[in-house]
Amino acid sequence: MESGSVESLDQLPPALLATIMTKLDISSICSLAVTARTFNSCASHILSFLPNFHILDISPSTELIRPLLPRNPFLQSLKLDCGQLNDSSIELLLRPSLQELCLHNCADFSGKLLSEIGSRCKDIRSLFLGSVAEKRGRAIHISDLEELLGGCTQLEALSLMFDISLFLRHNFARVWTLASEKLTSLEIGYISSVTVTELLSPNVGPHQCPNQIRPSILPGIQKLLLSVDYITDTMVGTISKGLVLLTHLELRDAPLIEPRITFDLTNSGLQQINQHGKLKHLSLIRSQEFHITYFKRVNDLGILLMADKCANMESICLGGFCRVTDSGFKTILHSCSRLYKLKVSHGSQLTDLVFHDIAATSLSLTHVSLRWCNLLTNHAIRSLVCNMGLKVLDLRDCRNIGDEALRAIGSLCKLKMLLLDGTDISDVGIAYLQHGIIGSLVSLSVRGCKKLTDKCISALFDGSSKLQLEELDLSNLPNLSDNGVLTLARSRVPISELRMRQCPLIGDTSVMALASMQVDDDRGHGSSLRLLDLYNCGGITQLSFRWLKKPYFPRLRWLGVTGSVNRDIVDALARNRPFLHVACRGEELGTDPWNDLDGSDMHDYEELDELEQWLQEREGESDDEEMEDAEDDAFVVME
Amino acid sequence: MKSTPKKIILRSSDKEIFEVVEAVAMESQTIKNLIEDVSSDDVIPLDNVTARILAKVLEYCKKHVDAAAANENKNTTDDELNAWDADFVKVDQNTLVDLIMAANFLNIKSLLDLTCKTVADMIRGKTPEEIRQTFNIKNDYTPEEEEEVRRENQWAFE
Repeated sequence: MESGSVESLDQLPPALLATIMTKLDISSICSLAVTARTFNSCASHILSFLPNFHILDISPSTELIRPLLPRNPFLQSLKLDCGQLNDSSIELLLRPSLQELCLHNCADFSGKLLSEIGSRCKDIRSLFLGSVAEKRGRAIHISDLEELLGGCTQLEALSLMFDISLFLRHNFARVWTLASEKLTSLEIGYISSVTVTELLSPNVGPHQCPNQIRPSILPGIQKLLLSVDYITDTMVGTISKGLVLLTHLELRDAPLIEPRITFDLTNSGLQQINQHGKLKHLSLIRSQEFHITYFKRVNDLGILLMADKCANMESICLGGFCRVTDSGFKTILHSCSRLYKLKVSHGSQLTDLVFHDIAATSLSLTHVSLRWCNLLTNHAIRSLVCNMGLKVLDLRDCRNIGDEALRAIGSLCKLKMLLLDGTDISDVGIAYLQHGIIGSLVSLSVRGCKKLTDKCISALFDGSSKLQLEELDLSNLPNLSDNGVLTLARSRVPISELRMRQCPLIGDTSVMALASMQVDDDRGHGSSLRLLDLYNCGGITQLSFRWLKKPYFPRLRWLGVTGSVNRDIVDALARNRPFLHVACRGEELGTDPWNDLDGSDMHDYEELDELEQWLQEREGESDDEEMEDAEDDAFVVME
Repeated sequence: MKSTPKKIILRSSDKEIFEVVEAVAMESQTIKNLIEDVSSDDVIPLDNVTARILAKVLEYCKKHVDAAAANENKNTTDDELNAWDADFVKVDQNTLVDLIMAANFLNIKSLLDLTCKTVADMIRGKTPEEIRQTFNIKNDYTPEEEEEVRRENQWAFE
């Protein structure tokens, strides 16, 4: 080693290059390998001791990842989109050294995946499995879950994001006794509330000997996240009584029909929450996925009874509580002095009065979401912004929020995410953001704010200094034209996600402008966009597709277009860019559908029709025939 | 027990002399081992580090020694130190590479981690062309080799 002779990176000794490269993700390592021979040999070398292997933005095939996953006794964390993998990849993926395993889109795997994890990955601490065996012909058996739970004795966090009610019928309680004592976090994609109740119930059956003590089920659970059919009093009561260490409870239901009283949450159910006093985070959401329905049997009394016990709560999310009035919501704000996150959706009776004297509390809210609260007006926002530490503000579909609210919001210097879909704002309001928060905003959505024109783009992006905006949603704006997009492209704002769905005036010029956008001098032309949604934009023709091919948009991973117009061209594009997810049927695009963005649900995955969501996971793979078969399957599954 | 802290004398490759308190010098495992072996008041020669880089390295060590001492009295925060570190590595590329080499030779783990992480951050998310441009890397592939390696790794940068 001589001093002063090392002029550039590639002249560093291999050991130091390895030190740098092990701090990189696998795709950056592969990108670096292409630059020069030294890096290529270094990359091959470090594959055998790389601790993390994460590929989530594309669905790699076995052929692609096999050379990247040699024998590696140091591999601790594996996260993968398994859309193109199946049981034959199990041996490649599952290693005894793994402590963290996160596999998404496992529809083509069978339950063998679970049993093999139980036998091969005994040291695992954190496990996430998405959509296992959802494809027709694949099955999971209860024995697979038994082997998983029995084998992984160190398991601390488990997420089974699929419908476990399909195989979890009898003797299910016995299965969960096999779970590691260290299990503190459990998340389940779908389970029936009856199963949950019976699972956590202290009574095994009518013939139980009174002296027989049954081992407690899941005693260490602190965090429980469940999607069920109906949130019921019995289930909530059983959970609250049975899990003594519970700090974090998230329940979501999606009723198929109007719930009967025995299958619903009422005031007495709410009263039972937090029996052991440790609860800090509570989320109760009734989704409108299958049926327009609400928590009609809960009113202010229920909220009062609950708030009585919840002085230590830090986050509360209530979705579908249409009978709760200002009294109830105000009680929450005044009882929970440590509250930092408040989310209310379908608060049809929530008015400005809730926030009227919020300045008198000592609250420092950071995340506020008030969705479909149509009685809210600008006054509420003026009161709300006394919480200067607000980072996330979601006012989607509050029809009466307008420009004056934005004047108040403009003072929130820590705001990172602002969602204003469907509100009554205009260019004037947007201009209030210009000299303040636009500099700190990371995510902005004005979908469906029909009064907005190109002027709002100039207001936001003309001559602004260093912007941090990464996500921008300008969908459903009938007056947004190519000129607006030209302004955006010229401004060099480093956006990675741009949605302009259903904008009739957006056309080829916009695509060209975005394609030649240069963000900074470090990166070449071709823009930083990873996601571009142009579904149903009026002026998109064949010409755009020439600009969507390589080498333009080098980072693009998600593209939304209207496929029915130019089917052949779309297919050609998909061939030209094999790692691009192309959505042609108007599905919402997602880069991280499993990353819930602090729970703000920006892209509303839970609102998507289940069939659409299921189809979205298969986009770009099947031809139309298979798609029809698959649609039939989905209906069978949903029954 | 001496009343003033012991000073260590270091000499860079270009013969410049640096005098630092022992605690600062001992941030470097290499120097620490040398002191323990030699145990005299001789000058310690560091033939692999130039004066310019050694000055920067010693600045880093002093800041971290001071911060650790203040931390015992709960006077500084990690945030302040991290901000200082972030500014410290805002240097030109050659200096950054030299700092990596020096941190490696002098065996200062935290500085090595910091500088390597900085370089990693400059690489992350870039296409091969952008990386070459940022770091002035010479493309030493033959055209056939390059085509093959690009094809193999195409998924990473499209």
